[in-house]
This record gives sequence, C-alpha cells and structure tokens, in this order.
Amino acid sequence: MSAALTSLQVKQAQPQWAALFISDLHLTPDMPHTAKAFFNFLNTKALQTQALYLLGDIFEYWAGDDDINDTFNQSIVTALAALSKHGIKIYWLAGNRDFLVADKFADACGLQILNEPVITEIAGKKILVLHGDAQCTDDTAYMTFRAQVRDPAWQQDFLNQDLHQRKALIATMRAGSKDAQKNKSMDIMDVNLAAIDALFESHQVNLMIHGHTHRPHQHQHQTKQGVCIRFVLPDWDYDAEKTRGGWLSINQAGEFSLVTNAEPTFTP
Amino acid sequence: MKVLLNTNHGDITLELDAEKAPQTVENFLAYVNSGHYDGTIFHRVIDGFMIQGGGYEASLKQKPTRDPVENEASNGLKNAHYSVAMARTSDPHSATAQFFINVNDNEFLDYPGSDGWGYCVFGKVVDGIDVVDAIGSMKTKPKSMFTDMPAEEVVIEKAEVI
Repeated sequence: MSAALTSLQVKQAQPQWAALFISDLHLTPDMPHTAKAFFNFLNTKALQTQALYLLGDIFEYWAGDDDINDTFNQSIVTALAALSKHGIKIYWLAGNRDFLVADKFADACGLQILNEPVITEIAGKKILVLHGDAQCTDDTAYMTFRAQVRDPAWQQDFLNQDLHQRKALIATMRAGSKDAQKNKSMDIMDVNLAAIDALFESHQVNLMIHGHTHRPHQHQHQTKQGVCIRFVLPDWDYDAEKTRGGWLSINQAGEFSLVTNAEPTFTP
Repeated sequence: MKVLLNTNHGDITLELDAEKAPQTVENFLAYVNSGHYDGTIFHRVIDGFMIQGGGYEASLKQKPTRDPVENEASNGLKNAHYSVAMARTSDPHSATAQFFINVNDNEFLDYPGSDGWGYCVFGKVVDGIDVVDAIGSMKTKPKSMFTDMPAEEVVIEKAEVI
C-alpha cells in the first residue's frame, strides 16, 4: 500500500482547491477496493488542495487509539501522515462509528481533531461542518445510544476494557446496527430539517457541510437569515458491484463542486 | 487478426487472440473500428511494469465507452512481457476501452490474481517492440489526477485492423 504513495514527492505549486471534504468511507480491511480508492484519492486529488476535511466515519469502527498498530489502521495512518508532510492541512471530526479516535491517532497522522459542529473559514466563506448524525433527531433510539457512547465516562469505561473485548463488542454492535437499519424507514434515517434550520440560525452561517446520511445532494433552505445552502457528502463503496464515492471541493474563488460518482480508477 | 496502433512515437502492431479471448477481442475491435482509439493517449506509463491508454483524449477528457466486457482472464494467456491486456476497475467485469501493454513479466496480474480474477490478456505486440520500450522508459510527471503521465505526449493517432 505504501507503493501507492511513491509519487507524493511532487506537490502542485498552486493548489487547485482551497479545500476538499470527504466522509463515510467506512474503511475496513473487508473492503480493500474502497481503501485502495482512498489511497488513490490521497495520491491524486488530495495533493491538489490546501486542506482536506474528513467529516466522520472514515473508519467503519475504531476500537481505540491503542489499535493504531493494526496493519490496516497503520496503512491509513501512513497515507495520511505522508499527505500532511507535504503541507496539506488535514482536519478530522468524529462520525458515529469512529468517535473514539483521539490524540495518538491525530499526532501519528499529523491531523487536527475538530469538535463538531464547527465553523471554518475557507476562501472567504464561513462554513459550518459536522458529521450529521446528531441532527437525525427523529431516530430517538439512535439519539439515546449516541448520548450514551459520547459520554466521557462511558468512553473511559469502554476503553478500560481489553482491546480484544472491545473488538468483540464492536462486532456485536455492528451486526445489530445492520439489522436495525433494515427495520427503519428511510425518512427517519435522514436529518431532521428543523434541527438543520436551528443550526443555521444558532451559528449565523448560510453554508453547511455534512455526511452521515449517504444521500449526497446540494440542498437549499429558507431560514430567518435568508437562503442557506447545505451540502451532503456521498459515502464510498468501491467493493460493491456498482461503485460509488466522491467529494465536495471548494476552489480559491469560493466555488463549490460536489462529485458524487467519482470514476473508479482503471488499473492493472 | 492484427491491429496497428499508429502513435506519434512510431507504430505498434498487436496480434489478437480471438480464440482464447473471444469477447475481449470483439470488444477491442469494436473500439478500433468505431475510431474510439484515434486521438487517445497513453496516460499511465510505469517503467518496468506496463503502459496504459485508450481511455482519454490528449486534453485528458475521458471518452465515452460501450458497456463493460466480461472478464476472460482465466483463458490461460499470461501477462508476459509485451502482452496486451484490458485495464479495469476493482470490479472484475468492468473493462471497457482502456488497455495496457505489459513491459515486464507481470505474473501477479494473471488469473486468479489477488482478487480471484486477474487481468485478461487478449493479444501481444508482434511489431514495434522498440516503440513500446521507448514509451515504457519515458520520463513521467504527475498531471491533473494522473500520477504517471509521460512527460512527452504519447498519442494513438490511428488504430486500424490490418
């Protein structure tokens, strides 16, 4: 996997983009082509940006920073560290699956962890970035679960367990989550629009970017402060029969472009 | 069955194996006969590995393709030096127009490969080996999203059945 990074020596003098945003790659060793697509993205697109924003669920799960030496995890760390060494600023915020990522991972990758929701200023624009799961307020069962696992005391208890025990527990939770999704209507799994409007208003911004729902789109919202734009990022799956993945870019002029079906790379 | 690739760096003649790779050859010929390859470039050149092209114009615009062809990599043909095979995505049955010429013995690309499928060989270079060698050893530099773009443009000016 490190071979994919050999051309990292060259950095564009004039980056094409001010920032790139991705989320919901759900990286796991079970999906090698998705990981490969990510390495390819880091090796090409990401070299042409000033900043890369990772907006949650980059990993399918994260058992704790003490799992950083796992071969697969290490390959991701190496790739991100190589990118940051080339001067690209990397920002990370937690998703609903990889929220246990902490300082050890951040330091190894050379990235900065943000606490969502957070306003960032890019190309003269104020943008609110978040993962999006906290706005799925119609899913009351999930909101209860979220409150539990985001509680620092719960997290400390969890991290105090042996790494093997944690991984076993995560495997059980992942199996349960798949079953639960089958039984929920699609509406419930999307963000609650009142929760979105409230965010626009409380943060006094008119641009928002999030992932989580796997429904890439550019939405327009009429709020008290006028028309607001909300970008939803695509999830990635290059292991499925019909591959998908993409990103949102913003150039130096502050123009956005949402790519939802990025061409998988033709290779031998 | 032979196909002549007339490039701006010289001619390459490919001999196709329609017996071992019938669908792949039919697919390749459809692109040749429709003029798809005319004006496409070799956009990925890795010395000691392979040269890949047939998908992009010199402007780096991707050309539209036909439906993908089934992977026939288990036909016994090997990704030997100077063999020609189909490029594809991680989906084993996703080959369309892009192909590559092996500039080394790349056994690891043979069926079943690392993913149970491998890359389908459907012919070999029978003339213009020197041209292939010259392209294969060209200096490369990243351009746009292409990390192994030859520094000098390599264009297939015309592809035709001979």
